[in-house]
Amino acid sequence: MTNPPLAALAFAPSDPGRFRRRFVRDPKACAGAAIVLLLVAIAILAPALAPHPYDDTDLLGAWAPPSWAHWVGTDKLGRDILSRLLFGARTSLVVSVSVLGITLTVGITLGMLAGYLGGWVDSAVSRLVDIMFAFPDVVFAILVTAVLGPSMLTVIAALSMVWWPGIARLTRALVLVQRNEMFVEAAIVCGTPVGRILMRHILPNIVPPLIVRASIGIGFIIMAEATLSLLGLGVQEPQPSWGSMIRDGLEALRTDPYLALSGSAMLAVTIIGFNLLGDGLRDLLDPKLQVR
Amino acid sequence: MTMFLVRRLLGLVPVLAVAIVLTFAALQSLPGDPVAVMLSDHSADVELAARLRAEYGLDQPMWRQFLTYVTHVVEGDFGLSFRFVHTPVIEVLADGLKVSPLLALAALAIAFPLGAFAGSYAAIHRNRWPDTAVILFLVAGISIPNFALATFLVYVLSIKLGVLPVAGWGSFDRAVLPVLILAIPCAAYLARLARALMLEVLQQDYVRTARAKGMSERVVVWRHAFRNILVPLLTQTGVIFGGLLSTTFVVETIFNIPGLGRLAIQSIFARDYPVAMAIILLFTLFYALINLTVDLLCAAIDPRLRAEGAGRP
Amino acid sequence: MAFRVLRRAATLAIPVALVIWSPANAKTLRVNINADPSQIDPLTYSELNSYQVLEQVYEGFTSITPDGRALPALAVSWAPLSSGYGFRFNLREGVKFHSGRLFSAKDVKYTFEQLLKPGGQGGLSAQFLGNVIGAADLKAGRATDLAGVKIVDEHTIEVSFTKPDVLFPIYEFFFMDSGIVAELGADWMTKSDAGTGPFTFKQWKRGVEVDLAANPGYWGGAPKVDGVQFLIIPTGDTALSQYDAGELDLVNLPENSFRRALSNPAYQSQTIKVPKAQVRYMGMNQNLYAPFKDKRVREAISLSLDRDAMIKGLYNGAAFPLNGQTVPGIPGYNPDIPALKYDPERAKALLAEAGFAGGKGMPPVEIQCTEPFRDEITYYANQLGKVLGMQVIPKVVERATFIKSMNAGEVAFFPWSWTADYPDAMTFLGEMWLSKSPFNRPRWSNAAFDKLIDQASTEPDDAKRFALYRQAEKILMDDWATAPLPATSNIALRKPNVKNVTVTPFGYSVFQDALIQ
Repeated sequence: MTNPPLAALAFAPSDPGRFRRRFVRDPKACAGAAIVLLLVAIAILAPALAPHPYDDTDLLGAWAPPSWAHWVGTDKLGRDILSRLLFGARTSLVVSVSVLGITLTVGITLGMLAGYLGGWVDSAVSRLVDIMFAFPDVVFAILVTAVLGPSMLTVIAALSMVWWPGIARLTRALVLVQRNEMFVEAAIVCGTPVGRILMRHILPNIVPPLIVRASIGIGFIIMAEATLSLLGLGVQEPQPSWGSMIRDGLEALRTDPYLALSGSAMLAVTIIGFNLLGDGLRDLLDPKLQVR
Repeated sequence: MTMFLVRRLLGLVPVLAVAIVLTFAALQSLPGDPVAVMLSDHSADVELAARLRAEYGLDQPMWRQFLTYVTHVVEGDFGLSFRFVHTPVIEVLADGLKVSPLLALAALAIAFPLGAFAGSYAAIHRNRWPDTAVILFLVAGISIPNFALATFLVYVLSIKLGVLPVAGWGSFDRAVLPVLILAIPCAAYLARLARALMLEVLQQDYVRTARAKGMSERVVVWRHAFRNILVPLLTQTGVIFGGLLSTTFVVETIFNIPGLGRLAIQSIFARDYPVAMAIILLFTLFYALINLTVDLLCAAIDPRLRAEGAGRP
Repeated sequence: MAFRVLRRAATLAIPVALVIWSPANAKTLRVNINADPSQIDPLTYSELNSYQVLEQVYEGFTSITPDGRALPALAVSWAPLSSGYGFRFNLREGVKFHSGRLFSAKDVKYTFEQLLKPGGQGGLSAQFLGNVIGAADLKAGRATDLAGVKIVDEHTIEVSFTKPDVLFPIYEFFFMDSGIVAELGADWMTKSDAGTGPFTFKQWKRGVEVDLAANPGYWGGAPKVDGVQFLIIPTGDTALSQYDAGELDLVNLPENSFRRALSNPAYQSQTIKVPKAQVRYMGMNQNLYAPFKDKRVREAISLSLDRDAMIKGLYNGAAFPLNGQTVPGIPGYNPDIPALKYDPERAKALLAEAGFAGGKGMPPVEIQCTEPFRDEITYYANQLGKVLGMQVIPKVVERATFIKSMNAGEVAFFPWSWTADYPDAMTFLGEMWLSKSPFNRPRWSNAAFDKLIDQASTEPDDAKRFALYRQAEKILMDDWATAPLPATSNIALRKPNVKNVTVTPFGYSVFQDALIQ
């Protein structure tokens, strides 16, 4: 990640109309947004879109190549791959939205408190964040899922634990800059309570970089969930996850490549979409970073 | 500067201490009993179970097991493996230690020049087609998970074209795919960084001066500008190298490479606590040392960063 | 002149040397195993990978032919004792350990004592000594000597039991050199081995390979290969690729790779397909899930499984239907048990009869198993839901925990298997289904069955014993104690130039006579 001068990050787009226009003109951001919207639509509409139930086994029809009945073919148990891909989008989205929700809540709260209050609060939070950062994240996630037993909830818990320090650290840095602004001093002089200052005055100004961070973060959360599923520590049967589909597919890559290839393609395109969107948003929201 | 170094080194201690405690607690909380694993299919043998428990000290209260472990670790004794009977952990690790760092370093050796040059090239030809091409490569490289990339490359190169072997370790052609797959995301990160840095540097006054003096564009770019981005690029490489270690887990598993990553995962699944602990501690220590080195380099370059509380964003 | 002679000699010598030194003479048999053996110690081994390696290095009283018969190995003959229960073994003379010392009766007694003594970790073989007089005392530390084993002379030994144990001679033992610890110390197994077999231990590179070298002084004749190399390859796909690339001479395939091997006509002449000496069953513990108490529910579950589809779809034909709890290839097998049909209509009717029409009233139940069976339990869960309306949730559990809870009778619903320990159906009927057996994991019990099996364990006459087995098996199946599951075959591929190698029903191979042309 580049190190932009922090002061430049703390502002809000004053003109939504201009923002929208510039957004539309940026091919990266548009492509990213299109992919993300498509993914969300798939995830929400999966039950309606899927031609077959995702857990319906048909042993005699196992590993069927693509056909009219099964557009991407079937997997080892004869289940329709396309339906599983569609429901796999659900898994990815549910996990990433949940993780984001938790990490943003926890990370922003702690980051704001640390940045604004300073003193021992800041030391404590910073120390905690430093320790979390020192731990290799993959190892940590694996340990947590192994301890709690693999399931969607454990994956969400593990990934949340790994992600919140980054959010907290960014928030703290942003708040530190904001704290020195005139309008904050004015608010303090007026006797505004701390909570109000944080929520009403500071928070709105630090939202844009956090949005950027979040949208790029989703891409990585989806990748992390798929990695855990690939290792067998993610959601369990019969729930589909792109990671475990790839794992099943890799075993049969030579004879029946459709499972692994389609799963990998879905995953790659999805993450690319989120990253394009995130990059696009960053380019648009931070004029100092505009390297056009 | 020395004070900074000392302060940071001391700062490592609580980190490692917490790491040991957390890892120990986590491993002890893993569902499943290591003695049951040792007994494997003969867990009906109660006497044998009791004997094994005593032999490995697993019948002691948790805090005493922890203290015993820590005192031994400090002396360099990581204990005996649960999975490989009578074998010291260090011996189990020895082979993996030769493989994983080599894999990671090879990947980095490819990624660094590739990323640095690609990023710089894109910056120079900004907004023209080389820039777009590099940016596309960037986004793809960062976004595509390494196992997805592995799937595609193995399918095309090994299965369809038969150019490279599918898995294993030992000869040069076996190493190509895993190293490539580790290198590509690193190269992408480095390229993005290099591009941003280069763009900034190209705006600098001294570059304009050089141009004004009549130096050829090529000299300006490669002799002056590029050199100046190398150092910040190097400092970020440290962080990326740490991240590389994490991705070796998956790559080693897919390609059946006898490295530490694969061993760690196998050990966790097989409830071989001593081996898992040792690897996790090694990784954590290594990670922390890398971060420390990066911070030192940053501080050496930019004295402002030596102030208390400053760190990487 | 001399120079010319020398030159002539040199030009002749080179092709001669090449013939002698050519790689064709350095032939090592390369085989795959799917994980490191947990150890290669003849005393503590307890899993197939260790067994596969140890089987080449050590020997016991008897060896087993590929079709399941027992042949004399280190015991040339044996006879029951005239007084009390037990056997007298006449041991083979002139057999040398790899250390050079001669094999004799004292080594047999030494091995038995090492297996039982406290502080050791006696593995699979230790349980075969349960009936020997003095075993309990030795295990508890009350004695240092195994009373029931008497050394008559250098090559004769008597083993006495507390109760009849007619199958003792065919139990698997690995006799070890009693002088090895004195010579090499307590960690002798990292440096050498203490066996008499056709191969000796050379080295073990963890995660990579285990290497054995041929023993030219083997009593059965020197092996025709120079050694055996066990390459550790966790996935079948990789192993098969290495076989294709010529890096393996024999490849044992896991179920996941059956499809790739069996659907490719190029492999046809190289395929070895041998039914496993393994019984597979569905455990339904009546104590933990009330509906299992009703025989009709158990029958309904059995009839809901489409075994044909499983054989074709899951195993690519490399499996065969099991109708009872004995398998062909193991003496005592009953081929006359009526075949199990796939009959979803009758299954639904039975379930309704039992009061659970459409699955109503049946609480959700987890079907548990280990990772390699993940696909299978997913199929069962889905199938039972479709046919019976049962709510079955597949759950993958870590292996050691699973075995422990199964042994403790704590798992309600699970598929599992049992591999024969020795070539007699008692290894299935007795060890798995006798009520008091610790390995009766579904906790099914039937007094009439127990009585028949107890009777059989003391019956030395094969024909009579097998008749008792048949009666017992009929009781087992009439009560729908279990739903037998298709038994898989061992599938291996062998290069055309590799001869005299096959896979035994027990899952391992014997390389004594292997030849690479």
